[in-house]
Amino acid sequence: MNHKELQHLYWRVGFGLNPAEYKSINRSRKNVVNTLFKDSESISTLNVNVSYFNDITYKKIKDNPKLAKEVREQNTKKIKELNYAWIYQLVTSKTLLRERITLFWANHFVCKDNNIVYIQNYNNTLRKHALGDFRTFVKAISKETAMLRYLNGKQNRKNKPNENFARELMELFTLGEGHYSETDIKESAKAFSGYSHNFTGNFVMRERQHHSGQKTFFGKTGDFSGDDIIDIILENKQCARFISEKIYRYFVNPIPNKKHVEAMTNVFFKDYNIESLMRYVLLSDWFYDEKNIGAKIKSPVEYLVGMAKTVPIKFERKKDILKIQKLLGQTLLDPPNVAGWKGDKGWIDANTIMVRLKLPSLMLNNAIISLKEHGDFSDSFREKYFKRNKRKLPFKVLPDWDTFSKNFKSVKTEDLDTYVIQGTINKGTADYLETLNKKSKQDYCIQLMSLPEYQMC
Amino acid sequence: MDRRKFLKNSTLASSLFFVPSFVKAFESVAAERLGYKRLVIIQLAGGNDGLNTIIPHNNDIYYNARPRLAITKDIIKLNDDLGFHPSLAPLRSLFDNGEMSIINNVGYPNPVRSHFRSMDIWQTASGSDEYLQSGWLGRYLDANGENPYNAIEMDEQLSLAMKGEHFNGIATSDYKVLYNTSKDPYFKNVLNRYNDAHLSEHNLGYLYQTMIEAKSSANYIYENTKVKLSQEEYPQNKFAKQLKNVGQFINSGLETKVFYTSLGGFDTHANQPNRQKRLLSQYANSVSAFVKDLKRNDTFEDTLILTFSEFGRRVKQNAATGTDHGAANNVFIMGKNLKKAGFYNNLTSLNDLDDNGDLKYEIDFRTIYATILSEWLKADDITILNNSFDKLNFI
Repeated sequence: MNHKELQHLYWRVGFGLNPAEYKSINRSRKNVVNTLFKDSESISTLNVNVSYFNDITYKKIKDNPKLAKEVREQNTKKIKELNYAWIYQLVTSKTLLRERITLFWANHFVCKDNNIVYIQNYNNTLRKHALGDFRTFVKAISKETAMLRYLNGKQNRKNKPNENFARELMELFTLGEGHYSETDIKESAKAFSGYSHNFTGNFVMRERQHHSGQKTFFGKTGDFSGDDIIDIILENKQCARFISEKIYRYFVNPIPNKKHVEAMTNVFFKDYNIESLMRYVLLSDWFYDEKNIGAKIKSPVEYLVGMAKTVPIKFERKKDILKIQKLLGQTLLDPPNVAGWKGDKGWIDANTIMVRLKLPSLMLNNAIISLKEHGDFSDSFREKYFKRNKRKLPFKVLPDWDTFSKNFKSVKTEDLDTYVIQGTINKGTADYLETLNKKSKQDYCIQLMSLPEYQMC
Repeated sequence: MDRRKFLKNSTLASSLFFVPSFVKAFESVAAERLGYKRLVIIQLAGGNDGLNTIIPHNNDIYYNARPRLAITKDIIKLNDDLGFHPSLAPLRSLFDNGEMSIINNVGYPNPVRSHFRSMDIWQTASGSDEYLQSGWLGRYLDANGENPYNAIEMDEQLSLAMKGEHFNGIATSDYKVLYNTSKDPYFKNVLNRYNDAHLSEHNLGYLYQTMIEAKSSANYIYENTKVKLSQEEYPQNKFAKQLKNVGQFINSGLETKVFYTSLGGFDTHANQPNRQKRLLSQYANSVSAFVKDLKRNDTFEDTLILTFSEFGRRVKQNAATGTDHGAANNVFIMGKNLKKAGFYNNLTSLNDLDDNGDLKYEIDFRTIYATILSEWLKADDITILNNSFDKLNFI
């Protein structure tokens, strides 16, 4: 694989690749892809310490408003920790592809919970099934405590049906809008009635709340269970198509290519194996087409993690990690609603674009983007001006430029753009970059990161 | 370069001279396409307890359900049945002047009691069983907006309400900071090399376009805002600062149709009385100063203020001197020439609650939106709300 292809692959299955990592990689496409899957065989779960909750019971909370408040505060605190732990894992994990596709599933099976135990379990369930069997995955999701709470599954009872989960199962998780009727929703909701959980967060089937009896769903009649419903949904090739297209838009190009999506659908429909589907995509020639390289707008997490992979950063105050996610419009574990983040152009508005352009200099260089041009000695005034304002900087970040220097040692400063930027640089901007003196690799890196082109991957 | 010269150059750099011609073209059209009627949204986040805000002071059920929480003293009685929480005293004159309309029992079918979800429903104007990814004001601006500054949110992040399918408003808690960021000379040097001919519809082109719009909007707001116009004294708090900025923008004649402000902290599960008292007082004092500010500048007539919260709270108090999440709630409309000022309708019966013990809704919040869109903003409410809702007659 050439440098460009390798970098493209690593931006899609991870968050970019440092030049120092290139050498250690075997260069045939098949080998590289095999290694990616091999590295992702293991599962490293997130493990925020939740021992505080071991002794808490429903009764204790109910009887003691003070304790209830404390529990709420602990949950809020721990969910923040889970957020940091997840970001950290994205930056450092060796199971690249598994983490990357887990991030994808988190915006597919969208869920949110203010209980740390439930949401941590949920998050690890995503990780566990991320490259496995989609059928098992959907069934597991339908029984997750956080999901039963988020889409009112536990309120779905024999005599008081709640159709929320049944509707989203088909609309957002498996088939897409327009591929089912209102009757299908009503009937399938019956099959999921009685799904519930206990206080510790384990699935419980409340038989007395379950509607047993005939249901007619997608033309079939029987006493279907929730799992049966999922099996029937998966018999429809539309499900394989819906997921394939979503994978294509996320991993390949936001504008789907019908032919390629159909080819993926055929692969996926065979056995709904996610790993096989991904292997097919990453080995396809079209995955490496010029038009797919740098075609995606980075999500805030892709942007932030990618930057941290190029220049390692340490946050003096952890809450800054949350603040930055908020400013950029994507806080992990806090999706806007069950439809998730819209993505692509939806990430960019007048505010977020300015934040994105300014953030690299803010975090890595006291807000300064060098202006040094050929023959220009200094813009020392600006540097002084900004240094004076250093205290006012919104974030306290320690960039590790030594590691950057080590990783990019083999790269000439004037070639840095081909490593930092994916895709082509607009002509006008390329012309401007020509005029910069490029004496400092560090300055040039920040200049490149402060461009619209850096938002692409 | 000395400091003064630097600043001077920066100001020069910020002039419209550097903005590509197509952006300027938008700006000149904007004045005609957009009228001058403005809408200010005030979101009371967390679920304000409407029953302790507009108090049914003659209702035994109210007092029985809330032995520790019911307001008994200093209620500002507005009629035989309903009265203001004492903290709302600054709004009394608005009510008496016919500049305030209180709509009771506002909600939607199958109410959701999650903050996030219910706020989502209010912001996107969806039903409780649909999930929309654009907001009602954003969709209004899809059709009627040209520049991000046509809709300004006084916060660091843009709410879903202000995001359309194509249009996005601008969010800024401090427009001077936004301006300073946008005028970084490096960005100027990059953009100097562009005009509209270079920019495609594709993702990268979209990024450049948004960057140009952001810079242009930041300039526009900064250069057209006349700080001196607002001489009114505002209280010292974050919410008042939001309204003070809105006042400056409106009085400066900014071409902004929609302003979005928010006051949070209403989630009073415990120790409600003091918290709500403080928040309502912040709200009322700030709004009162804001309205005075607008009146002094003759802009109140063209401004409509809508106050809402994602849900009301349970009629019965809980064990922690607080209230839990409820359903229907009251909405306030403020403006100069209201068709129906005072109480738009009566409070629904406290005898006839839903299964959770919450107020049943009588007026769908989307009928309020439809009324504002068609009667105030002269927009096509059916397209924007994707549904035809009956209009109310408060404006």
